[in-house]
Amino acid sequence: MKKYHDIAGDGGSRVLEQVAGQRARIADGLAGVRHLVAVGSGKGGVGKSTLTLHLAGALRARGLRIAILDADFNGPSQARMAGVQEAVFVPPPSPHAFGVADGSRKVALPRTRNGIAVFSMGSLIPESGALEFESAASGESHTWRATREFALLGEILESFEWGALDLLIFDLPPGAERTVQYADYLGPRTSFLLVTIPSEVARGVVARSVAALSKGPNRVLGYVENMSGYYCRDCDAIKPLFDSDRGASLPLTPAGLGISCLGTVPFDPELARHCDSGIPLADVPVTPVGRALDRVAQQLLDSLESNHGVPR
Amino acid sequence: MKFLCVPCDSPMKLQTVGPPERGSLSVVYACPECGYEMAMLTNAYETQMVQSLGVRIGPESDGEAQTSGSRCPFNAMIPAAEEPRPGLTGEPMSVRWTAAAEARLANIPEFVRPMARTGIERFARERGALEVDDQILDAAREFFGM
Repeated sequence: MKKYHDIAGDGGSRVLEQVAGQRARIADGLAGVRHLVAVGSGKGGVGKSTLTLHLAGALRARGLRIAILDADFNGPSQARMAGVQEAVFVPPPSPHAFGVADGSRKVALPRTRNGIAVFSMGSLIPESGALEFESAASGESHTWRATREFALLGEILESFEWGALDLLIFDLPPGAERTVQYADYLGPRTSFLLVTIPSEVARGVVARSVAALSKGPNRVLGYVENMSGYYCRDCDAIKPLFDSDRGASLPLTPAGLGISCLGTVPFDPELARHCDSGIPLADVPVTPVGRALDRVAQQLLDSLESNHGVPR
Repeated sequence: MKFLCVPCDSPMKLQTVGPPERGSLSVVYACPECGYEMAMLTNAYETQMVQSLGVRIGPESDGEAQTSGSRCPFNAMIPAAEEPRPGLTGEPMSVRWTAAAEARLANIPEFVRPMARTGIERFARERGALEVDDQILDAAREFFGM
């Protein structure tokens, strides 16, 4: 009797073929993107989204072409922070008009004032609403929800116009297991930047993400220690925010994560306020925090260029 | 998943897919050798798992009528209702869409359409237009930096 692998095709359901077809279309759509970078952590509340936006701003200020995909579909924050909460998705020109090629039928992305393309569910779902799917198995979403969300990610990657970019930055949702799922889905082209804060608990979770990612082919560029003290505008000085900032010893030193530290970024209450209002970093006066972000952006670029094309 | 006709040792071919009924699909396979037919009746979990992949199930030659769900996972996403905008009171002026503009709207992912429609109509109204046509869409693309 024949076994599964003795039979070519699947008798007509074409499920695998369709999944492979979408993967191929996604790869085509991202062919013009030089670097894919996922900003993750595993831990929630460490400032992944804020750091993502500010790094994108610092990279954009260098003249690079940048897009952000807010992959936190259930808790999107980039739309508000990037000022594209009320973006309008305008249909592309008809493929029959003016000899427009089929490729341009993809939907253009809204942009920030400083030219960063942003996709965020926050542009589509009001903050008073939640992402919902129709389902044949309602009330049992734990059995299918993650699969559905990755299908949604695939459709976003396939449907929107990414074009020629220097960096496409994915702002990942929290959860160490989610970080690995994104690594699996996005494939070895995607490099990871992890974010922690000076807390033993946060570093412990990030260490788990590092351990999980180390089993796969994706490069881990390093980590950023966010909220590393806070910037007091009155004193124009960085002051301690966590115990470790005051010199208390932590078992997990930065070196203990086993990956490069691309920099430390102090917390700036003023910058947080600007994020809530959707004001880009470029419009914020230069501060020690802005300079720290700029250094991290340069470290990120150096790391990407030094490893370009060489999976870890 | 593949099905094998054991007596013929021949892979069975998908024939028809019944529309989902209370979360269950009826998928009929037949043996090309002996013509024996069998039906796979899925439970809601099985139906949902396949639909969650964003694929359609149906014989290659069949049209959309045979789908178990859409190929596009956006179709299963429940569109979010637009919140009233601050300062916007009363019934907004109705805006017509030309056939060409509707055709362009149909080119974008389904879940984006309600928001796109609302935003473009607002854009048109703000410019005193009561009809969305190619010119309005092009102006909107330019205005929003696309």
